[in-house]
Amino acid sequence: MWWKIIIFLGMSAVIVAAFLTASPMRAANSLGPADVYRIFYFHVPQAWVASLAFVLSMIYSIRFLKTRNMEYDTKALTANKLGVMFAIVAMVTGSIFAKMTWGEFWNWSEIREVSVFILLLIYGGYFALRSAIADPDTRANLSAVISIIFAVAALFLIFVLPRIYSVFSQHPSDSIIDKSGQITMGPTVRIVFFSSLIMFTALFFWIYNLSIRVARLTAKKMLESK
Amino acid sequence: MPTRSISWVSKTLAVTRKDIVSEFRTRYAINAIVMFALVTLTVISFSIGLLSPSKEILSALFWVILFFASMSGLAQAFIKEEETGTAMILRLSCEGSIVFFGKMLFNFLLLLTLSILVVPLFIVFLKVVPTDWVLFIGAVLMGLIGLSGATTIIAAIVSKASVQGALFTVLSFPVLLPLLVAVIEITTVSFTGGTFADASAPLQLLVAYDVIMITLSSMLFDFVWRL
Repeated sequence: MWWKIIIFLGMSAVIVAAFLTASPMRAANSLGPADVYRIFYFHVPQAWVASLAFVLSMIYSIRFLKTRNMEYDTKALTANKLGVMFAIVAMVTGSIFAKMTWGEFWNWSEIREVSVFILLLIYGGYFALRSAIADPDTRANLSAVISIIFAVAALFLIFVLPRIYSVFSQHPSDSIIDKSGQITMGPTVRIVFFSSLIMFTALFFWIYNLSIRVARLTAKKMLESK
Repeated sequence: MPTRSISWVSKTLAVTRKDIVSEFRTRYAINAIVMFALVTLTVISFSIGLLSPSKEILSALFWVILFFASMSGLAQAFIKEEETGTAMILRLSCEGSIVFFGKMLFNFLLLLTLSILVVPLFIVFLKVVPTDWVLFIGAVLMGLIGLSGATTIIAAIVSKASVQGALFTVLSFPVLLPLLVAVIEITTVSFTGGTFADASAPLQLLVAYDVIMITLSSMLFDFVWRL
């Protein structure tokens, strides 16, 4: 209950601040109108939450295979469901941002756009597999195995592929921290950005907890009806 | 223990031999794969035969043919075991790793047969000759090893599910994407007259991918095979 109120107030404050304070555009790489850069306050936290969800579901898949505890399967599934949602939102905001600054909605040579697309394909495969297996134990087992294989393939795509394939990143690498680890943002931008990051993460964990409680209650109800 | 390792190898070969014998009786997988490859090759030749596509495009098309042809038949290795009910006997008679490597070897031989048929036809129909044959054959062989290594465990997963054929492609594609990018890059180099040095980065990726995927799959195989 308290979480709901805190997140509601915090999110509202972040949204108001994102539109009322100065734009986070920097003189070093400025393309397009300055107001467009306000989407940065939402796009980056969404992409961060999507990657967080992906990592979380991998950890729970490995723990499931170790313990065979169905609780971990529920957690991995929930993290993946939320991951899809945030990945789609991040992709849409990123496309809008790209259109306004780089001129195209979609660019196949931009590694982060390609990788979020592959991430969605991976999620699609995961859910297609789950819906094709009727037995819950088999389903949990096989989806955990495929999650781990997907994670290794994703590591190849994200870290190794850019070195050989002629993809490059137009994303500035120093928009949050520079190479020496110093935060490059101005004081106001910094406060708004990190509040947004915290609020999106809190939002994710709030929905995550609710979904897990719903899943537990559903499982309990099914046991009782049997 | 040398005796144990010898029996491990001979058992693995026995699984492969069993699959080859039963494949020769029905010729299900090889027919599907070869016909699929021929149809795709014909479609591509008809649609771009009059144009003069660049060698980069041709090397991508070559792997598109191999990828989709292998998708049409590789899943059979496990689906057939589950359908005929012989999976249980196989489970009782040997360890998971033996089944994994036996099936992987069978899938590799299947793909090898396919590419022995497809490569000459591709060269004749699309009028492209690799300038560096060693690099080209190396890329094909390493690609086929990776293809069979990564898809064997997916075939085992899919054999336990419904809508197997479509699911196999859907699950394989994200896993095979790094491999496809690397082999297409190497094949392009071998078509356009580059040297080994030009292809060293994708070759390293390809070797790393093959080793990591085969190790990972053989580690995870028991979770799929013995439920």
